[in-house]
Amino acid sequence: MRIDALRLIAYGPFTDVNLDLSKGREGCHLVYGLNEAGKSSALRALRHMLYGIPERSADNFIHPYAKMRIGATIRNRKGDVFVYIRRKGRGHTLRAIDDASVMEEAELQKLLSGVDVDLFTTMFGMGYDDLVRGGRDIVQGGGDSGQLIFAAGSGIVNLTEIQNDLQLQVDELFRPSGQKPKINAALGRLSRNRRELRDAQLPGQEWVRHDAALQAALNKKKTIEEELIVLRRDLNRLQRIWEALPLIAERRELAGELATYGNAVLLPEEFAEERQELLVKIGIAETGRDRAMKNIAAHQQAIVTLDIDTGLLDVAQQIEEVYRELGSQRKAAKDRLALQTRRNTLLGEAREILRSLREDLTLEQAERLRIKKNEAVKIQELGIQYERIITRIEDAREKLPALSREITDIKKDIGALEAPPAVEGVRAALAQAAEFGPLEKQNRTEQVDIMTVRETIAIEQSRLELGHHNADDLEALEAPSADTVKAFEDRFDVLQRRIDDLGRDIGKTRGHLQQVERQIDAHRLEREVPTEEDLQAAREKRDRGWQIILRRLNEAPVPKDELKAYVSATRGAQNLAEAFEADLLRVDAVSDRLRREADRVATKARLLADQTAAGGQLAQLDEDFVSAETEKKDLSAEWVAVWQPLGIVPRSPKEMGQWTRRFRSLTEKVSEVRVRQTKADALKEDIDAQRLKLVQGLRGSSGPAVAVDESLSGLIKRAQKWVQDADDLSLRRGQLLRDKARREKELDAAQSRLEQNEKERREWQQQWEEAVRSIGLTAKALPAEANAVMDDLRSLFDKLKEAGILEKRIAGIDRDSDAFVRQVDHLMAAVARDLVDRPSDEAALELHTRLNRSREARSKLETLQKQLAQERGRLDQARDDILQVETRLMNKCQQAGCNSADELPEAERRSNRRRQIESDLKKIDTRLHKLSAGATVEDFIEKALALDPDGIAGEIDRLTAAIEDLEIAKSELDQTIGSERTELSKMDGSARAAELAEEFQVILGGLDNDVAHYARLKLASKVLSLAIERYRDKSQGPLLKRASSLFSRITGGSFAGIRAEFAEDGRPVIVGVRSDGGNIVTVEGMSDGTADQLYLALRLAGLETYLNNNEPLPLIVDDILIMFDDDRAAATLQVLAELSHKTQVIFFTHHRHLVELAENTIDAAELVLHTLER
Amino acid sequence: MFKFIHTADIHLDSPLHKLDRYEGAPVDEFRQATRRAFENLVQLALAEKVAFVLIAGDLFDGDWKDYNTGLFFVAQMARLRDAGIRVFIVAGNHDAANKISKTLRLPDNVITFPTENPATFRLQEINVAVHGQSFASPVVKKDLSIGYPKADSGFFNIGLLHSCLTGREGHEPYAPCSPEGLRNKGYDYWALGHVHQKERVLGEPPIVFSGNLQGRHARETGPKGCMLVSVEDSPRVDIEFKPTDVVRWLATDVKVAGSESGYDIVDLFGRRLIELLDDNEGLPMAVRVRIEGETHACDEVLADLERWSNEIRSSALEIGSGRVWVEKVNFKLTPPSSIKRLKHAEGAIDELLKLFNELAAEPESRLRLATELSDLEKKLPRELKEGVDAIRFHDPDWLGEMLDQVRPMLIRRLLKKGTTE
Repeated sequence: MRIDALRLIAYGPFTDVNLDLSKGREGCHLVYGLNEAGKSSALRALRHMLYGIPERSADNFIHPYAKMRIGATIRNRKGDVFVYIRRKGRGHTLRAIDDASVMEEAELQKLLSGVDVDLFTTMFGMGYDDLVRGGRDIVQGGGDSGQLIFAAGSGIVNLTEIQNDLQLQVDELFRPSGQKPKINAALGRLSRNRRELRDAQLPGQEWVRHDAALQAALNKKKTIEEELIVLRRDLNRLQRIWEALPLIAERRELAGELATYGNAVLLPEEFAEERQELLVKIGIAETGRDRAMKNIAAHQQAIVTLDIDTGLLDVAQQIEEVYRELGSQRKAAKDRLALQTRRNTLLGEAREILRSLREDLTLEQAERLRIKKNEAVKIQELGIQYERIITRIEDAREKLPALSREITDIKKDIGALEAPPAVEGVRAALAQAAEFGPLEKQNRTEQVDIMTVRETIAIEQSRLELGHHNADDLEALEAPSADTVKAFEDRFDVLQRRIDDLGRDIGKTRGHLQQVERQIDAHRLEREVPTEEDLQAAREKRDRGWQIILRRLNEAPVPKDELKAYVSATRGAQNLAEAFEADLLRVDAVSDRLRREADRVATKARLLADQTAAGGQLAQLDEDFVSAETEKKDLSAEWVAVWQPLGIVPRSPKEMGQWTRRFRSLTEKVSEVRVRQTKADALKEDIDAQRLKLVQGLRGSSGPAVAVDESLSGLIKRAQKWVQDADDLSLRRGQLLRDKARREKELDAAQSRLEQNEKERREWQQQWEEAVRSIGLTAKALPAEANAVMDDLRSLFDKLKEAGILEKRIAGIDRDSDAFVRQVDHLMAAVARDLVDRPSDEAALELHTRLNRSREARSKLETLQKQLAQERGRLDQARDDILQVETRLMNKCQQAGCNSADELPEAERRSNRRRQIESDLKKIDTRLHKLSAGATVEDFIEKALALDPDGIAGEIDRLTAAIEDLEIAKSELDQTIGSERTELSKMDGSARAAELAEEFQVILGGLDNDVAHYARLKLASKVLSLAIERYRDKSQGPLLKRASSLFSRITGGSFAGIRAEFAEDGRPVIVGVRSDGGNIVTVEGMSDGTADQLYLALRLAGLETYLNNNEPLPLIVDDILIMFDDDRAAATLQVLAELSHKTQVIFFTHHRHLVELAENTIDAAELVLHTLER
Repeated sequence: MFKFIHTADIHLDSPLHKLDRYEGAPVDEFRQATRRAFENLVQLALAEKVAFVLIAGDLFDGDWKDYNTGLFFVAQMARLRDAGIRVFIVAGNHDAANKISKTLRLPDNVITFPTENPATFRLQEINVAVHGQSFASPVVKKDLSIGYPKADSGFFNIGLLHSCLTGREGHEPYAPCSPEGLRNKGYDYWALGHVHQKERVLGEPPIVFSGNLQGRHARETGPKGCMLVSVEDSPRVDIEFKPTDVVRWLATDVKVAGSESGYDIVDLFGRRLIELLDDNEGLPMAVRVRIEGETHACDEVLADLERWSNEIRSSALEIGSGRVWVEKVNFKLTPPSSIKRLKHAEGAIDELLKLFNELAAEPESRLRLATELSDLEKKLPRELKEGVDAIRFHDPDWLGEMLDQVRPMLIRRLLKKGTTE
């Protein structure tokens, strides 16, 4: 299969880009594209064109999925052509060239001979990366010959990697002696689980045992508990009594003491405390009283010394106001001085300006100089206008001479140009002749072709032995028709067949005859078969002997001759008896043989009959043969006669059949050449006529000279050039004239503008004179002067205006000062006549000071009066308190039955002691009551005192020990019960074992899947190794031989080739053989580049092997040479070019220098260059 | 009017078989399935206020030794005792082999039939007579029903029997008997156990297999449970199947003819799964999936079975909201006939293909490959080498099936360059 055309209709970056791949034998196509030109897209398109565009294609960035199209024309070796368009989609993506009717994918697949996309990509696609991976894989696999050959035969670049990968996955699943791989780990878990399950399972007997132990312990515990109850009761009673004995003793002592204190008055518990408090209170009240009296005396003294001026206090508000005003007054006085200075400066400056303008005027008269606003504006505008007019005038004055100069230059150029010749005649002749120009060359070729055909005709003519005829007459010759020749051929055939049949029959009959004769001879040679005649003859001879003997017996005479003749007739007989005996034996023998060999006798008879029949048949056949030969001779004569008119001695009809066909073709050729000659001649005449016309035209227009033998097309070219030159000349001249006219027009315009401007300037002068008069300038003054005057005026009036404002502010300050003085004078007259002579500001200050002093004195008086009132209140309070406490102390004495407060402490002590005794007695009774366990205290005491106090302690110890022993036993039983219960509770129907069994099944489930997975991988690995071995055994010889030679070429002779060796570990490997000295280089010893080239050599050899046995598919190569030096790249390109004899090679590259290298290296007939553009 | 429950083949604590655990598999839902199914049974008995429960054998698994299982059973029986429900048991072949039942102390509401002769227990208050006999040993080849007494007149007669009847596929031919023989006894109901598939034998009186309570592996599919029998107007009975299973086993075929890619196949599976979920009332399911048909995706899927099995599982995770456990995925895919290879060429890959073809045609060649697996074989537990789904390294058919899967996987690995874009 090869690709004749790849049409990138709408794909990736391409829109309607065509690659014509039809040229070349199969074609070594070099497709060059810059980076970004879409090389990779084109490569992809090639594959997608054959196998469909994948569902998630990224090549839709210009054309959407629905619009994506790749067209192609492909053709197989048989010449079947398949033209189609591939679109993107889920089905029916093949369409005919109309992009509408659906084509069958299977048809296309037939052309691809069932090679699917994977195989195609792997085997017929080769990129730089593949080369590198392939090279690396070779090194990784240590040059293993099986792998290398398999990889070469399939195009797989990473076979070692794939094999290693399989092994790795196998190892991850299972290793015979591993722990970690998945299956090993699962098996480990499985046996652990089995153990755990065994442990977790509860045997039935165990449950029964634990249950029985529990019941026994429970029963025993019950007995112990009953004993404990009795013991504890006794112990308890004794302990109570033991505890009560000291209490009983104490109770008796207290009862005695109570008799002493029985009459003491029981005072309340807080009595003593209250008495103490009253004593303290009296002390405090007395201290307060004394302090108040002292304070009152001191305050009264202070009030007498205070000095307060009420007159000042009455006018306090006015004094405050004056005092506040004092600050403003002082600041205003300072400001006034600064204002005055500033005003004087301004007036001075104004006077200065005025003097520069008009010396005759004072400042007061300056107002006369003020001009109106509109007048000032007018002067400014006129100034601007003046600038504009002056600029324009100067401009125009500069431009005029430059234009005049340019006009002069153009006139000079025009003068220098030649006058153009008239060309119209020639142009017309050219127009007519133009179409004959190309025909002229064609006509010449046609004439040459006709000559060639005529020569061919001449050769064919002499081959047909018609050399004696004129070639032009051949058409008129009447050769026998094909039918006639065919008829003769048939007749000859029939006749010849008959002759042949007869000859064969004769041969056969003669053979038969000879065979019969041979058999007869054989019979004869073997031993003559006796005949009836022989028997007869023998009998006669015997009878003859018998007659002699009879005669002898009868003693009749026997002639001697007769006897002798008889005896001698019998070979070996000496006498009659012997002769007769021999005869007798002979007759018997003949008769025996006759009987015995009857078959042989019959055969011999048949043979003789056959001999006679065959003889007759042979004679008849010979006769027929002669007659047929004669007939053939007659037919030959007739055949020669037919050809007589052509003057030809014919060969066999079959040959002449061929002759007639060639003759017919010859006459057709003659006729064709005649027609072509006529046409060519007519064309030649036309061309000559055109040439003549053109020559005449040129001559008429005094054009260039014409050579006699110049061809029409040459002439046309020259005439066209001449006409072109003339046209150019006219064009140039017209251009210059137009330039001149334009410049002259510009000159006129410039002059008239200048005049206009001069006029404007005069008008301006008049207006100016009027305007500046108002500011005292003459008409001669320039706008700049006028501006200066106006600026001075503006400045003058500004200064005067500011001085006026300052004057007003000074007057205001003076007014405020007068008002202040009046106010102060008024106040002094009212409240401080002593200050009348003092200046106003000092007086205001003094007034304020005096006011403050009076205010302070008044506030102090108020404070003292308040304090005095407070102290008087305190004095009264203290006196009341003392009286009250004394009354309460008297009450206490009465309660305690005392006469004075001094007796109170003793009364308090007695009361306390009585209360203590009563309380202790009550506590003891309460405790005894508790210990009595329900009996009355008196009964209990009685019972306790009845016991022997010295025996109680021993009894208690005994009981305690017994109880302790029982408790220990009980606790032990509790433990037993607890542990048995724990054991039984573990046996509560737990699902632990069941869960372990479930886990066991889960592990099995996982193993089940993993084992299948392992088996698949392991089988895959094994089958692959087997296939590799088988392919190696089958292909190693020729493939290595070819790869060796390719490797030598691709490495530029650096290596002599490769060969199979055994590695140290006995593995068959492939090694390189150096050219110089034949050193062996293992794949590990090769450089990366060389390993890549080794891979390439093997790949190409593998590919060639494939191509020798199968329908070819194009080899798609993607820039594999980028890392090759130029020599190796060139060698590889040649190898690819050679490969292109077997299949189409399409080589994509980004590299310009590879294109050049290819052009220099590969035969132009094989190399087809394409440039990829979007 | 009274009701009773007929159940059998409980196989308490028998685990669910060979469920490969994977991320997201509903492990908790599948725990202790047989126990929970049995709890469901007890709950049903309480809720329906049945008069008694019949257990027609195989309460325990034969080789199961954990006494805890027995204790669990006792606890459940105690619940029935508290509700005044009697339980009648005949021991089956598994029970006869089992050690637990020998020492187990059952509550007094549970009556186990003797092994020597058939016996009859009567419930006078509702006029019911239950006849039965337990298996004395794990293998009983004689017809036990012959010895069963004739029906008691005036009673509702029930025959409780562990038997294969006339023989059922996949079940040992124990205590064989014929429906005619059973009918001749004149009973009103025959409660049979041993066969795990529920069945009612045609004709009257009802001869019924209740089937097992909970499916335990990929061949015990569909709803599992017990029979709730209502006796309205003796001897007329109304038999209703009540599912008790907590996890349902299902086997499903997904037809994928015409699909274009692996993801199409996953989608088709998803659709099928939605139907299954609808059909099974949201019960957790263990599903064995068989993907079958002629498809363009054949090579893609067979090239990486693990990956596509996982895709199926994760689709199940998504759709089944964590209630579906995909037990196993079997792929039976063939490439569409239109793209089968037209011709064999003479390249290295073709050598490999030829080798595969030879292996497919010659069982002996396949057997030779089995030596590659002998290392593993020695270590495999017997549980994997037995039974219907066993791994059989020395079976040419099994090897052939493996090789059918190996072939596209290997080709794809070798030629995967073409699939990059």
